[in-house]
Amino acid sequence: MKIVVNGAVREIGSSPTTSLLFVLREELGVTGPKAGCQQGGCGACTVLVDGSPRRSCLLPVGYLDGAEITTVEGLGTPMSLAPVQQAFVHHYAAQCGFCTSGFLLAAQAYLDRGGTDDREAIIEALGGHVCRCTGYVKIIEAVAAAARGDTFDLTTTAPGKYTTVAGGAR
Amino acid sequence: MKAVGARIPRYDGVAHVTGRTVYVDDVRIQGTLWAKALRSPHHHAGITKLDTRPASELKGVHAVITHEDVPLNVYGHLSALGIPADEPLLAEDAVRYKGQPIALVAADDEETAARAVDAIEIEFEERPALLDVRKAFDPDAPRIHQWGNWYTHFEDEMDRRQIRKGDIDAAFAQADTIVQGVYRPAAIEHAPLETQVCQVVPEANGRLTIYSCTQALYFSMGVVAAHLGVPLNKLKFVGGTTGGGFGGKVDTATETMTSLLVLKSGKPVKWRWTREEEFLCSSTRAPWHMEIADAVTKDGWILGRRMLTLHDSGAYARFSPYGLTKHSFHHTGAYTIPNLAFDGYVVFTNRVPTTAMRGFGVTSVSFAVETHMNRVAEVLGIDPFEARLKNANRIGDTSPNGVVYTDPSTVPTIQAIATAIGHELKSDYRAMTNEPRNGEWLPEHLVAQIANPEEH
Repeated sequence: MKIVVNGAVREIGSSPTTSLLFVLREELGVTGPKAGCQQGGCGACTVLVDGSPRRSCLLPVGYLDGAEITTVEGLGTPMSLAPVQQAFVHHYAAQCGFCTSGFLLAAQAYLDRGGTDDREAIIEALGGHVCRCTGYVKIIEAVAAAARGDTFDLTTTAPGKYTTVAGGAR
Repeated sequence: MKAVGARIPRYDGVAHVTGRTVYVDDVRIQGTLWAKALRSPHHHAGITKLDTRPASELKGVHAVITHEDVPLNVYGHLSALGIPADEPLLAEDAVRYKGQPIALVAADDEETAARAVDAIEIEFEERPALLDVRKAFDPDAPRIHQWGNWYTHFEDEMDRRQIRKGDIDAAFAQADTIVQGVYRPAAIEHAPLETQVCQVVPEANGRLTIYSCTQALYFSMGVVAAHLGVPLNKLKFVGGTTGGGFGGKVDTATETMTSLLVLKSGKPVKWRWTREEEFLCSSTRAPWHMEIADAVTKDGWILGRRMLTLHDSGAYARFSPYGLTKHSFHHTGAYTIPNLAFDGYVVFTNRVPTTAMRGFGVTSVSFAVETHMNRVAEVLGIDPFEARLKNANRIGDTSPNGVVYTDPSTVPTIQAIATAIGHELKSDYRAMTNEPRNGEWLPEHLVAQIANPEEH
C-alpha cells in the first residue's frame, strides 16, 4: 500500500493494523507528530488526513491507502514558514514545543475551512489538544492573528495581554 | 543591555513550529532495543520469588536486569550532600509503592519487551500499606521504611525541620484571639506531554552517550555515574530539549536503568514510558498537610505563628528534605511574624515518591498562608488587603530563617492587586511603601526582629 506524506508517495511495509503514528515516526522517520499518550487523549500526534485533523495514534494505516497526509514538516520550512507557523513564532505560542505540531495542524485545518478570529470558534477547533506549559492564551491569540491575515515580524514578539508596560509596575 | 525589556523571539521558536526540534524520542539510532519494566502491582509487599530466566530465554530479548546487576543499587538523590541513601534503583526484597521498578528487559521491539516482562516469574507477600500521612505517627501504623515512618536525618540527626524565633509563648499569651486553619493541597501529576524517555548508546571508545529529557543534566550525570560506579568522563549527556517537565524531570527516572541494559546487551537501548506509567509511577507534587495557629490582635497584627507540616514524601526521601526546608523558610509567606514555632516532618507513605513542581515546597505553603490570611481577616472583620499590608515584609524585617529583607515587594504587589481589581484602599495604606518600619507600622512586637540591611 501507499500513502502520500507531505506530497511524496511512500510505500508502506508495516502491517495494516499498525498505527499511522508508528508508520510515520518509526518506518518513515517523520518525527513531527509526537507520541504523547497513544490513547487519542492529548492531540500531540495530530496530522491532516485528506485535509482533516486526525489522531495518527488511533488510525490503522490499512485504512489509508492512497490518502494524503500532512504533518508539521509539510506546512512550511524554516526558510518559508506558513502564516500559521509565523503566527505561533511571533505570538510566542510554543513553549516546550511538544504539543505544537498537533496544535498547528488543527489550526491549519480551522483556517482552511474559513475559520475567523472568533475566540469561541478557535477554542472549539483546538479543544482536543492539551498544552501542559499552559500556553493556551498565546496559542489562541496566534490562531486569531493568522485568521485575520496579520503579517508577522519574526525579529520580535507580540506583546501579550498581560505584558507589563515599562514603568507601569516596579 | 539590548535584551532587557526587549521582545526577543524564542531561539527555538522556528524549530518548534517546523517539527525540527529533536526531542529524545526523535533521536534515531540504528538497531536500538526497547526497554520495559516489571513494576510492583502492590503498594507494599515483600518479594518472595523472582525468576527472570523465562524472560531471558525469549527470542528477541537481549538483556534482563535486576538489582543484582546494579553496581551501587542504593543511592540517594541527596547523597552528594551527605544525606543517607534509602532508595534502591531496582527493588530488592520489598516494594514500597505501586509501580516501583523491579526488573527491566531490553528486546528488539516494544511488544517483545512487554511479553518478556510478562514472562518474569514473581511472587509477593502483601503487607499493610500506609497512604495517609496523618496516620504515620499512630502506634499501630504499619512501619513502612527502614528509618521508621518519617525522615530522621536533618541537621544533628533531628527528625524534623524545626524553626524557633522570638518568644512564641509570650505571643500567644498576649493575643486577643487565636485563628486556626488546616490546609491540605493534593498531589498533582506533572503530566508533561513528553513522557519520561531516554536513549542510551554504547560508543566505540567505551563511553555511553545518554540522550536525556532531564531538567537537571549534570545532576543526573552524577546520579548515573554513582549507580554505575564509573567516573563522569565515561558518560556523555545530551540534553537541553525537554518536552515539558515542570519539576517532574528533576529526579533521574530512566537514564541509569537504561544504561545498565546497554552495558549488559552491548546495544543501544531506548526507554519511553507509556502515558499510563507516567500517571502510575512518575513522581508527583507532594500532597501536604499543614496546620496553622496564629496569635493575632483585634486590629490585625499577627504576633506569632505555630505551624505543623506533614510533607508526604512517598516511599523514599529523594529531594523531600530539601523541599520541606524551603517550605519552612517561607512559612510566613510575604509577611513578617516575629514569633514562630514551626515543626515539619518528611513523612513516608506507600505512595509514589514525590518531588519538585513549580516552586518546590513553596507553592503549598503560599496557598496555606494566603488562605489563612483571608481567614484571619474574616475572623477579625477587617479588610484582607489591610491585614496583608499591615504585616507585609518591609526593608529591615527578618524572615523565619533570619534573612534580612533588603527590597521586599509585598507592599507594591498588594497595592497593584488592589488597583487591578478596583479595591479601594484607605489613604494610609495607599501611601505605604516598603521603606523601613516607623510610626504606626512599627508596633512594639516588631521592634526586636528588625535588623540593619546595610550590614547584610
